[in-house]
This record gives sequence, C-alpha cells and structure tokens, in this order.
Amino acid sequence: MNIKAAFFLAYKTIVRGSKGTLIMTILIMTLAYVNLIFISSIFGGIVEAINEQYIDNLYGNIVITPASDKIYIENKQTSSINHIPGIVAISAHYINDALISYDEYKDGNNIQQGKWKIKSVNVEDEKRVTAISDSIISGEYLDDKDRDKIVIGKEIAGGQGGDLDYLSLGGVLVGDTIDVKFSNNIKRTYTIKGIFSTKNNQADQMAFITRKEMESILGVHNLSSEIIIKTIEKGQEEQYIESIRQSGFYDEEIRTWEQLTGFTSSASKSFMMISIILGAIGTIVAGITIFIIIFVSIVNKRRQIGILKAIGMEESTIILSFIMQAVFYAIIGILLGISIILFVIRPFFVDNPLDFPVGWVSLKITFDIIKISNISLMIAALIGGFIPAFRGTRESILDAIWG
Amino acid sequence: MIIEVKKLKKTYGGKIPTHVLKGVSFEVEKGEFIALMGRSGSGKSTLLHQLGLLDSPSSGDIIIDGISTINFTQKQKNEFRLKKLGYVFQAYALLPELTALESIYLPLMLSGVPKSQYIKKALEMLEKVGLSERRNHLPKEMSGGEQQRVAIARALINEPAILFADEPTANLDSESSETVLKLFKKLNKEIGQTIIMVTHEPDDKKYVDRVIWLKDGTITSEGI
Ligand SMILES: Nc1ncnc2c1ncn2[C@@H]1O[C@H](COP(=O)(O)OP(=O)(O)O)[C@@H](O)[C@H]1O
Ligand SMILES: [Mg+2]
Repeated sequence: MNIKAAFFLAYKTIVRGSKGTLIMTILIMTLAYVNLIFISSIFGGIVEAINEQYIDNLYGNIVITPASDKIYIENKQTSSINHIPGIVAISAHYINDALISYDEYKDGNNIQQGKWKIKSVNVEDEKRVTAISDSIISGEYLDDKDRDKIVIGKEIAGGQGGDLDYLSLGGVLVGDTIDVKFSNNIKRTYTIKGIFSTKNNQADQMAFITRKEMESILGVHNLSSEIIIKTIEKGQEEQYIESIRQSGFYDEEIRTWEQLTGFTSSASKSFMMISIILGAIGTIVAGITIFIIIFVSIVNKRRQIGILKAIGMEESTIILSFIMQAVFYAIIGILLGISIILFVIRPFFVDNPLDFPVGWVSLKITFDIIKISNISLMIAALIGGFIPAFRGTRESILDAIWG
Repeated sequence: MIIEVKKLKKTYGGKIPTHVLKGVSFEVEKGEFIALMGRSGSGKSTLLHQLGLLDSPSSGDIIIDGISTINFTQKQKNEFRLKKLGYVFQAYALLPELTALESIYLPLMLSGVPKSQYIKKALEMLEKVGLSERRNHLPKEMSGGEQQRVAIARALINEPAILFADEPTANLDSESSETVLKLFKKLNKEIGQTIIMVTHEPDDKKYVDRVIWLKDGTITSEGI
C-alpha cells in the first residue's frame, strides 16, 4: 500500500473531477449530517424541556423526604445544607392532601370540589428554588404575611385550557373564595390570590399557602414534608447526596429529580430510541449515497483501474484512494454541517424556540451528539467507500481493460 | 537474453476449453524490437498478456532476465510489473484527472522515488516523447496520438526491461500512428529499449527488427 500515491490520486480526482458531482456529494453529506444532529438535538431538546419543567416547578434538583417510618422531616438544620458548595437554595414544604370546594352562588347547590395537594412555602426560599412565582397568569404570588390567601394551579382553577379541566373547580378567578378541608378535618376559607400555569400539569395541580398558615392548621412547628434543593448545575446531583446526608439527614430519603421523574425517564428513553432509529436511517442513507458515488466513479474508471493495476499499483492503494475520497466528502460534510448547525440553525431556535406542550423546546446540541454524529458519518463514509472500491478493484486486470 | 518463452500453453476453461496458445517457444534478445503479427484471433494479445504477467499461463515457462516467473505469487507479479515491465494499451489508458506530467511520474511515486527526482525524470521523459509543451494538459486536452505518447512515457519511466504494446496505434489516424511507431523506433535505437508490440498492420514491419507470426496459437515463422 502506498499512502502517498493513494492520497495523490484521491486529491486529483476531487480537484479535477466533475464540480457538479463534488458539490452534489458534499451537499448530500452536509444534509445527512445536519439531519443527524438536528434529530438528536431536537429530541434532546424535548427531553430537556420536560426535565426542566420538573426541576423548575416540582422537584428542584434534589428532594429530601421523611424517613420511611416518619411523617415529617424533623431535622431543623436546613441551613447546614445551604452551606454545601454548589447548593444554591433550599425550600421546605409541608404537604397536605386537602379537599378544596367552590360554591359559586353560595347556596350549596352547585359545589365544585376535588382533592389536591396543598403545599406551604416560605416565599423567599421558594422563589429561589422554583419558578412557580414566575408562572402566575392572573393575580399575584403569596407574601409571607398572607394568612387567608391561596395560590392555585390552573388545573385546579379550571377554565384556563388545562388538560384536566373536567376535574377542576370549573373556572374560579382571582378574588373568589374557596373552602379547604385539610386532612385533619380543619376547614378554612381562602381568597384566591393568584393562579399559575406551568407546562407541567402535575405542577399545575398544586396549591400554595404560607408556611405560618400551614403550621397553624397542622399544629406543628419547624418540621417539613419535603425539602427541595436547587444545585448550581443539572446532571451533577449525585455528588451532593452524600454531603447532604452528612449534614444531618441520616435516615431521610434523598433523591434526585431524575429518580423521581419515572415517567419522564421512560419518555426520554422512547425519544432516545426514536432519535437513534432516525439517526441510523440517516447514517445508512449517507452511507448509501457515498456508496453510489464511489460506485459510479469506479464503473467509469474500470479500464483505468485495470491499467493502474497493470502498471503495478496495488489494489490496496487504489482502495485507499477511494476511501480517502469518501472520507473527504464526509469531513467537508461535517464541517459545513456543523457550521450550519452552530451558526444558522441553533441561533434560529434559540431566538424562536418551539412551543411544545412540554415546554419551550430548543435544540440541545451536546458534545456527545456531535461526537456520535461525526463517528456515524465517518463510519458510513468508510463502509460506503470501501465496499465498491473493494469490489471494483478485485476484477482481474484483463477483464477490467478489455471486458 | 531478456525473455525466454518455453512451451507456453494457455487454455481458457469453460464448457468447451479453448486452446489459445498451443505450446509457444521463442527467445528475445535485449534491445530487440519485435512485432507479434497474425490474423485476428490468432492469440497475439493472449501471448502478450502472458509475457507481461497480466495473466497466468496453463503450462510452460517465461523466463525474464533469467528469472522464472511461472510460480510467481500475485504480489511478486505486481512488484515485477512495476519494476521491470511497461505496457502501452490501445487507448483510453490515462486517468482523466491527471495531467501528462502527473500520469508519467505516477509509477515513480509508486516505487517510492522522492518528489524532486520523479518530477525531473518525468520532464525528461516528456522531452523524449516530444510533449514538453503538453506537460500540464489533461487527457481531454490532448489528441489520441499525444495521449498514446504520454502512455508510452508512463510505461518507460521506471526504465522497464521490456516494453509491451498491444496494437498501440489501432485507434490513431495514420499520421499519429507514424509518430508513435517512430517514437518506438527512436527509443529502441537510442536507449536500447526492448519492445514487443502486437500489430496487425503489415506495414509496421519496417520499424521492427523481427516479426513473430502467430497462427492458431502456434508460431509459424520468425524473421522479417
Ligand atoms: N478470456 C477468454 N476466454 C475464452 N476465450 C478467450 C479469452 N480471451 C481470448 N479468448 C480467445 O482466444 C483467441 C485468441 O484471442 P486473442 O489473443 O485476443 O487474439 P488476437 O489478439 O490475436 O486477436 C480468440 O479466439 C478468443 O476468442
Ligand atoms: Mg488482440
């Protein structure tokens, strides 16, 4: 095998061969590559959007729940978690399954009611961990002084185009009063202070009151049903769990958002599957394209290949030369494709994210996606170049020259 | 003696085996210019292919430069072709993407000769075949005769012991044919190039030292 001669032939063929073919080939490679990245990143973006909704509205990054034999987290040292480097904020909740009812005409004839989770918050803490206070669509969020005010999700309020409208209170508005019966049978009346709408209907089925109010109802003090924790970045949660435990939560359950979103991870897996299948098809198409291009080139050069062999060029050198061409097409396709993705498609989607039911979806282009796409296209090029070159050069010299 | 052919036979298989060469023996001296002549189908090309190690004979032996080639492996044949043998085919033998100069130095590049040397040698060779001014032309920018002269230069660049040519002028007009044949003659005279050329043009006899006549796979006469 003579690498220099193989490179020489590949180079001359590309430079002096048909410009039309070259442009077409590179165009197809580029599209195949953009397709690979685009599909993976859009699915990545969807999964990301779903995850973000869970993190922003329900779980934060890490959730502490009571030890299995306890109702509440009894540890008061929540401030010790705050000092762990990388932890941004924490918010402790009481959670109570309450019966909420709305009697529009105050005559007991037409009561809408249902059971929902009411959580209590310390407003400043909560605002640092979740984004619910930013998702108010009517009225406003709680204030720590509020005692007879409640903020509810749109799935409870109803009339806001939620998925579960038929289970809602039928369209209550800010300023309306609702009756709440807590699980310990204590009843209170609250005025709706705000209605929020996230893109996570689990979050939209929650209601919030202040911590002081909840403690007075439950008759407890300084406990919590869950503590949600926001970390500096997503994906690194595992590393904090041990430090959190060491800070005094020896028996409590400590889980990451990933462990808690069972549904999402199975949805992510499905999206991953689809993206892998589409990616594989894209790669095969790219491989077949290269195959056809090299194949045609070899058919056209049959005689010349025979003659190259006659003058003593080894088959392996000729094959290598065609593979180099294929790899060249792939590399240019990758370079152009990555430029298009990074400088055209990604900026476009950053400015114009897609409004999906699961959230605002943008492209999630990760190093892994780029790496896998590069490898896929390269392998497609290698195989697509090798097969026709191998078959084409195996022909005997005389058949090639005279056949 | 540069070639010694001993009882060479070539039979093509198939339902009815074709005995194309039926025991051919002859010798070629270094520096000879030989024409293989005979009617169409008499086995000229087949013989040339065996001599040029492009095919495998059924029996007999071909001794080139004192080396028996009959038991050569494919790799040995490749090596031998690159270093010792040169070929000129009928036509369309040049890669469309290579200039005259590039086509000519390709075999030297394959032999691992450094760039400065192969360019120098290829330019000399272009000079010899009278195409210096065509060095940067692609095949499509040259006439058939010029292309054939480039093919000859390419065949000779590795200084082969023997140059084989199978009807090198078959696709050329008479003027170009004459240029090519005169070039062969000149190379034969000036550098003592051994040449074995298949031709069916009786007129070509005037350029060669000796004619080997083939008929139905056997040699019927040798001489002028
Ligand atoms: N690959 C082959 N298989 C079978 N028969 C062949 C093959 N190549 C050549 N022949 C036969 O061998 C004979 C001689 O062919 P060839 O050497 O090409 O003759 P020439 O070059 O003198 O015209 C012809 O009859 C041809 O049909
Ligand atoms: Mg012939």
